[in-house]
Amino acid sequence: MCEAVGARESLSCQAASGVLEPCEVLDIGSCDKNGGIRRLVLRAPHAAIHALPGQFVHLRIPHFDDHLLRRPFGLYRCNSAAGTIELVYQVLGAGTQQMTSLKVGQKLDIIGPVGRGWSCAPEAKNVLLIAGGMGAVPLYPLAEQLKAQGKQVQVVLGAQNADLLVFQKDFETLLGAENIPICTDDGSAGFHGFTTERAAELLKKSSFDAIATCGPHLMQRGVALLARKAGIPCEVSLEERMACGIGACLSCVVETTAGKKRACVDGPVFKADEVIWND
Amino acid sequence: MTKALDKNSGASAVNLAVNVGGLSMKNPVTVASGTFASGREYAELWQASVGASSEPSKNVNPATELEALGALTTKGVSFEPWTGNATPRIAETPSGMLNAIGLQNKGVEAFCQDDLTWLAKNAPELPLVVNVCGHTVDEFAPVIERLEQETVVDAYEINISCPNLDCGGMALGVDPEVAAAVTRTCRAATKRPLIVKLTPNVTDITEIAKSVEAAGAGALSLINTVAGMAIDAKLRKPLLARGSGGLSGPAIKPVALLAVHRCYQAVSVPLIGMGGIRNATDAIEFMLAGATAVAVGTANFADPLVALRLADEMQLWCESQGVEDINELIGGLLA
Repeated sequence: MCEAVGARESLSCQAASGVLEPCEVLDIGSCDKNGGIRRLVLRAPHAAIHALPGQFVHLRIPHFDDHLLRRPFGLYRCNSAAGTIELVYQVLGAGTQQMTSLKVGQKLDIIGPVGRGWSCAPEAKNVLLIAGGMGAVPLYPLAEQLKAQGKQVQVVLGAQNADLLVFQKDFETLLGAENIPICTDDGSAGFHGFTTERAAELLKKSSFDAIATCGPHLMQRGVALLARKAGIPCEVSLEERMACGIGACLSCVVETTAGKKRACVDGPVFKADEVIWND
Repeated sequence: MTKALDKNSGASAVNLAVNVGGLSMKNPVTVASGTFASGREYAELWQASVGASSEPSKNVNPATELEALGALTTKGVSFEPWTGNATPRIAETPSGMLNAIGLQNKGVEAFCQDDLTWLAKNAPELPLVVNVCGHTVDEFAPVIERLEQETVVDAYEINISCPNLDCGGMALGVDPEVAAAVTRTCRAATKRPLIVKLTPNVTDITEIAKSVEAAGAGALSLINTVAGMAIDAKLRKPLLARGSGGLSGPAIKPVALLAVHRCYQAVSVPLIGMGGIRNATDAIEFMLAGATAVAVGTANFADPLVALRLADEMQLWCESQGVEDINELIGGLLA
């Protein structure tokens, strides 16, 4: 199952079991002008030190007792020296709405880091990342790691409109603007169209030997199809409604060629070819 | 019975040990089937969490911590592997959640080889209740017959109450005659304690309770989830792929308390109460309603260590209230 070797540095596919870790809110803020996308920095030394690109934390929102379940959030930036993790999330439902009222200094707890992150063909030299909307979150630490390994990386960064391109600056700082092709659904910035269309163009022009993607389910399915046609190994990061976050409850299963797998601990990253894509 | 003393010996004079239809538990706490798998994930989380903390003095043996439970109740096991339902399988609802997992499990043979092997090695002293499910009356006994070969199994909980199957599950638990037939076939297959888990989705739960008691049930678990539905108004679609599911969590606690209270008056076998238990006070309420033991379910998802702490918290409650033997609380509602 785990083709890559086990050492942390090798970006191997790992299924680290999470830890229940008390943590503290260090910083909060908005990423876009409407406050619809927020950042949350937590002091969580264990998660910060042990997190691998593509893993997530399962967060219990304080003072929210009539909503029972934890919420999974992909890890954006981790600072192991400072013992901090950064989450970026979109305010979509009651839970993320409640999280906007978190205050600096507030205590909460997470289970993390959870899940099997990116393995992304360790032998690959030229990698294409395709991020749709909030799907950029788990791809950022992958981009960091690939860059540190001296690999060529391009990131197709897509959003509904220019205002929601909140990750553009970070990716450009990391990889240079020339490596971050932008696209928006409404054409308000960059290429007018979907990430899959932009990615298809790039695949014609350059030769990539690995693809990783995260974003809306339909987009990931489209990328998986592109990758298959181009014969390039591809990984996807899937989202399913989740309860326990430790592999016990079987809520978040994904249909694969090897039967049902749990998104929380067998994923969230899967090889695109093993996923049975449904509508 | 000596199990009753090992964790809390010397610390307290409160007797927490209970007996559920022949199953000796050192305290009244178990977990609701399906919320805890076979315990391994929770034990490993506990172990990793303690190991990661800066407190070096704590014991990090996972078995020790699983054995804080009075008994472990496994997820439902069928004879053949079951694939369960499509996703989305869950939805959060006010003070509760809906699930329609559909009893996905790898079948009794793989369960014995994987889960029971792990439990025998890592938690050999922990009383073990295996939840058994089937599509038809005839599918239960073969599961039990296979499990009879395993010495680590202490009791069976018969699931005739899952609302998420097209065939079997709750359909077997809403008719007193069918429920009794399942109970009889299971009773004939084992001498181990036999617990039957009932659905609240009936007109009169005491009618089913009396019927399965007469058919040989040594104890009853109640309640399984309450049938329910959640809808996404904008999409005009149910939130669950199956359309409907089973409601659990604090939202159903009053329903569960009444079911326990009524069954306590209707039958003489012990009851395991469950439905929305999050803390010691909730658990004590169930015992006062008539439960001999209690199970933590949905709360495990929010706080994965709550079940492992609950017996200690119940002991503190008893100490604070001057209760010397927790058995005196069972059905102890004042008139």
